[in-house]
Amino acid sequence: MAGSRLERFGTVFTRVRDLIRSGVIKPKEKPLWYDVYETFPPKRPPLHVKPVTSLSAKKQGIVPEIFYSEDKIRTGFYEQYGRGLRFLDLSKSNFVSTCQRFVDKYRELKSHGMLDNSSLFEETAKALLKEGIILRRRGAPPVLAESRDPVLDLKLIDMLAEQQSAGTDTTKTTEDKTS
Amino acid sequence: MAVRALTRGLLGFRYSRAATVASPCGGHHYVTAPSVKPPQPQADDVTEKILNQPLEKPDFFRVAELFSLKDLFDARVHLGHKKGCRHRLMEPYLYGCRLDHDIIDLDQTMEHLQLALNFTAHIAYRGGIILFVSRRRQFGHLVETTAMDCGEYAHTRYWQGGLLTNANIQYGPGVRLPDLIIFLSTLNNVFQQHVGIRDAAKMNIPTVGVVDSNCNPSLVTYPVPGNDDTPAAVELYCRLFKMTINRAKDRRKQMELLHGLSAPTS
Repeated sequence: MAGSRLERFGTVFTRVRDLIRSGVIKPKEKPLWYDVYETFPPKRPPLHVKPVTSLSAKKQGIVPEIFYSEDKIRTGFYEQYGRGLRFLDLSKSNFVSTCQRFVDKYRELKSHGMLDNSSLFEETAKALLKEGIILRRRGAPPVLAESRDPVLDLKLIDMLAEQQSAGTDTTKTTEDKTS
Repeated sequence: MAVRALTRGLLGFRYSRAATVASPCGGHHYVTAPSVKPPQPQADDVTEKILNQPLEKPDFFRVAELFSLKDLFDARVHLGHKKGCRHRLMEPYLYGCRLDHDIIDLDQTMEHLQLALNFTAHIAYRGGIILFVSRRRQFGHLVETTAMDCGEYAHTRYWQGGLLTNANIQYGPGVRLPDLIIFLSTLNNVFQQHVGIRDAAKMNIPTVGVVDSNCNPSLVTYPVPGNDDTPAAVELYCRLFKMTINRAKDRRKQMELLHGLSAPTS
């Protein structure tokens, strides 16, 4: 069957249409997809686009950056509290992360309108503490620090020094006793 | 229709010219492409009516019911690549860029996917040969099983240069080429455009392709902007194509029975 192998000129459809029009392809030999394409054409004709190497072309067609108003709250949260204690489980579509709860609480308190921006952060943290979420500041010990077992802080060197001094005391006392 | 999966051996393997038919289980053994003769042109008015009736309605096969925007979102179809990998021609299909991560516009994807599925359904209805192509090794088996389940063909191995353009010499004279090629990923393993897109355009074969934000959509007849890397997204596409093709084929059998062309099986 006749065909046209010029993929850079026109689309598949225009080439076949012109071949049928000129009589090279008989109407009975029309390809299967011809009528379907004619009835349901694509949104954009599949023309070959020449690759442009000049830099000026890159400035056309800007893809907008996506930012939300809650991002300001989120940046504040991540700056103060680091990555957050709870992991993000993205496999669930209804998952609410620690940061998202913080943002929701912040907006709720803001809508009440009683507090100003500087104290709003601390108030949100306190409100979350009441609900049971502990927020650890970056680099600082946790807000509710558990007491460390004092035994863990003992050092072997200090223990030996103590024993030695205790040993010299006992020998001195025995010497006193004997003498 | 015999269920076959056209699989390809490793580079350098030569096929035997014996006319063999693959077993129905369709394993990874090597078969030659059969020399299928084009369907006999029947001058029946009934056949004409059967073929032209679906073209009158905008969505004869109701493919728009098969998916919703939420399904696309849950399958993570909207996630593109990073800003640095972006292809210039994909910019119209992008919704935006969130912290350097391209997000594909799902409203546009919905429309494109509906057009693509509709076209596939019509081709399957008319008894066309559909070839699934994907060079992603991760989804090779999935694509092959999808093709087997529809009763169509798949090619997920190395694409030899003359596969479409030199088919008459490689497979023997009078080979019937596919009427539609579906690309589940338009890139090959070195992140260049798959040769099949250019070859299909050369041989006047329409293509349907899933184009990610680093792909070139210009030569694909019905591009579908969407993620081609996540397993969830690719499984969704495979499922949708399988359902449309099966639906279209069943509809064709129904129409033939209705118009009394084929004897009803009890």
